[in-house]
Amino acid sequence: MIKLALPTGDLRTPVAELLSSVGLQVEGYGEGSRQYRLNSLSHEDVRVRVFRERDIPIQVALGNYDIGVTSLSWITEMNARFPQQPLIPLADLQLGQTILFAAVAPTSSSVGQGSRPDRGGSGNTLAALPTPVRIVSEYPNIAEAFARAARLPRYRIQAVAGAAEAYPPEDADLVILAAPDEATIQTHGLQPVLRLLDNSAWLVANAASLANKDLTAVLTRIREASTPSTSGALHLPTPIAITKSNGRAERMTDTLRLAVPDGHQQRHVYGALAKAGITFDGYEEKIFVRRPHSGIAGLDVKVIRPQDMPQLVALGEFDVAITGLDLLSEHLFAFPTSPAHAALDLQVSQYNLSAVVDGELPADNLADAVAYWHRDGKRPLIVASEFAATADHYSRSRHFWRYQVMPIAGASEGFVPEDADILIEGTETGRTIAENNLKIIDTIYRSTTCLIARKDAQLQGRRHSVYNELFGLLQRSVA
Amino acid sequence: MTESMRSKGMRDMLPNDMARFRRIELTFRDVALGWGYEEVRTPTIEHLYLFTSAGTLSPQMLDRVYSFLDWDGWSGERVVLRPDSTIPTVRLFSEQMSDADSARLFYVQNVLRFEQGDAEREGWQCGVELLGDTYPRGDVELILLARETLQRLGLGPRLKLSHPGIVRALLDKAGLSLEDQLALYDRVLAGDLAPLDEVEAKLPGSASVRSLLSMEGQGLAYIQNLTTVLEPIVPEIAAPLGELAAVSAMLDGMGVAHEISPLLVRSFEYYTGPVFHAFVGDIKVGGGGRYDGLVSLVGSRDLPASGFALDIDAIAPLLDAAAEDARVITIHCESPAGDDLAQAFALAIALRQVQTLVRVTAGAGRGEVVVIEGAFHVALNGGKPERHTDIDAVVRAVSRS
Repeated sequence: MIKLALPTGDLRTPVAELLSSVGLQVEGYGEGSRQYRLNSLSHEDVRVRVFRERDIPIQVALGNYDIGVTSLSWITEMNARFPQQPLIPLADLQLGQTILFAAVAPTSSSVGQGSRPDRGGSGNTLAALPTPVRIVSEYPNIAEAFARAARLPRYRIQAVAGAAEAYPPEDADLVILAAPDEATIQTHGLQPVLRLLDNSAWLVANAASLANKDLTAVLTRIREASTPSTSGALHLPTPIAITKSNGRAERMTDTLRLAVPDGHQQRHVYGALAKAGITFDGYEEKIFVRRPHSGIAGLDVKVIRPQDMPQLVALGEFDVAITGLDLLSEHLFAFPTSPAHAALDLQVSQYNLSAVVDGELPADNLADAVAYWHRDGKRPLIVASEFAATADHYSRSRHFWRYQVMPIAGASEGFVPEDADILIEGTETGRTIAENNLKIIDTIYRSTTCLIARKDAQLQGRRHSVYNELFGLLQRSVA
Repeated sequence: MTESMRSKGMRDMLPNDMARFRRIELTFRDVALGWGYEEVRTPTIEHLYLFTSAGTLSPQMLDRVYSFLDWDGWSGERVVLRPDSTIPTVRLFSEQMSDADSARLFYVQNVLRFEQGDAEREGWQCGVELLGDTYPRGDVELILLARETLQRLGLGPRLKLSHPGIVRALLDKAGLSLEDQLALYDRVLAGDLAPLDEVEAKLPGSASVRSLLSMEGQGLAYIQNLTTVLEPIVPEIAAPLGELAAVSAMLDGMGVAHEISPLLVRSFEYYTGPVFHAFVGDIKVGGGGRYDGLVSLVGSRDLPASGFALDIDAIAPLLDAAAEDARVITIHCESPAGDDLAQAFALAIALRQVQTLVRVTAGAGRGEVVVIEGAFHVALNGGKPERHTDIDAVVRAVSRS
């Protein structure tokens, strides 16, 4: 049997069309479908699983799947950190084409008018960045490779779940992000300085599967659709010789900085703010701009991904943020001494974080489940979760003998039982869990939406009064 | 075969391994202390940024470091398991010994670097850093120190000398930008000599550069030949060859045999002056050199410095196993439930007071001394057993044997 991993998200429709055009129809894989496990109509020996794009290189490298289709940027992201992985990019499918750029805010004194992103130089731009260089990206491993190739004397990587373009200049000095072209980067108020990767959907295979299995039923057909392409190589900067430390512009100290979320939490947070009588121009139930107008003197608001807020509050980049307790807990499990803490429970978007297992497992509690899994020896347990640090802490504190945490980006219900033993997952009514033939075996904690802040913050003057006003309005709304 | 629970690339050190390890360590400590050096130890975890600047580790080395976000690393700034000891020692000197103009420091500690497959990822080093001393005295002193350590371990080292300034002068002369020079130099550090072909193409009359520098020659005579051929093409090469010649001449004067191997620099960008490698047979057992730019890069002072490290893991298998055997007196107690065990321990204490190595056993087995019903039956060196009831008599018998 050939196991094929296909992408969900933006690539789903074009990949479905490509497969169909080469006679490799997959039932239920197409626009609007939410099924995770599928069969090929044309090849009964082909089993298909749908993943988030960034999970596919991991699944193929692990050997759980023989072949995958995903963006080259995610393959490169994995190879940048784990070059030894048995992951072989085979062909460019010329779908979902974007470019991975390194970009800076044009206010940087080093960026000349009309400068073009190049393939290797950009040394002057990088040498003029403040120290330590704050690099933000959805691709932290590529960002790390970038910083090392440039020989930056001091840097820190802010790994974000999205909205990287919103960070410079206040919250980052350099951003690594994908965009269709330079013009799109410029619409974000950024200046591209280096073109790192020509990105598109690629066919990728597990090395052992290539060596030992007949994959031609799939490879031949998909290869038909591929065209000769660029090499797929990552272009990194040449080393720069920094001879001095560059200072950073002082931040305004009398303005409170608030982060509010986009994504599925947006409507809940909008509702909680509205209930407290707070509205921002440019942040509504379903639409937003990255920098809404607060209408309150001394309050700056930015819209970013909720996953990234605890770290930014801990760093002092934002004074307060509204995000999930699940995401704050994830941050604290990774960094137990972080000063980020929940200052106020807004009592919206509540759910349980649970340990979920196969519905057929002959166990009703965790102890019995572990005993069952270990009945033939202490094999490693695979724990899949979007909350990797939480899953690691859970597995460690429950004294699993040997375990592997599989960080995943989404489409999580499809992982158990084929690819993982346990899923650490948010559950509300339990209906989705039951529909996927899974069951909850342990409830870890109840998550809610919180106002988070630094517990050691010492706000002064107007910043302090704006915080008190914001906190008071929200507190009264939930009292 | 059952899968090992030991992590890949890690090594268990068994009693024999530890005996050799300690022998190397003690010999090295003795030599280093004898030359006026003081012992230090740096932390296992350091900031990654100490190692990322140009002029520290090569990119190929950086690709093999174990870096991670610490439990308080929410800033995104990584830490690293010590991949090298020189840079941390320079940091220690810059931060903790800021009042000193110079320091002679040594250490015995591990470094961790990723290696492919089952190759060892943890290595142990005996290292020396001579900070604030000047060329060529420091370079020669370190070579003598390394040589004495190896000789006292019964190993006859072969020494090879080089200088990174030779390659740097060629890259500079080829008209390359500072960035391109660094990139090409890193390739040479990784063992790729192709950049020298690029240099040859850019320098008229330099067609012999790669072949000339790939040779290994004997001492001062070879350096003089290189200078004669290369100086007209690259006048800047005279300076590094001159530094190398000064060290070589001093070693020649002391009768210390050595070879010149111009391209022997590997993995470390921080070397700026003469470097040396020590071999036993074909096995490289250590090396070091001058790194005058590192103290100012890590700290704020501009001080010359040099150092070396001996590779314990490479040296240990070369040692004579017989030298590790030490006499241990086994005191055996056939009936551990009674007073005999207390007697056995009383004898052990008495023997330890005269520095004798002892081992107390009980139950089935045998020993040089067997305790039976309060009496000691002593059979040393395969001789006939003698019965003693007095502990002092046993101690005297053991001491005589």
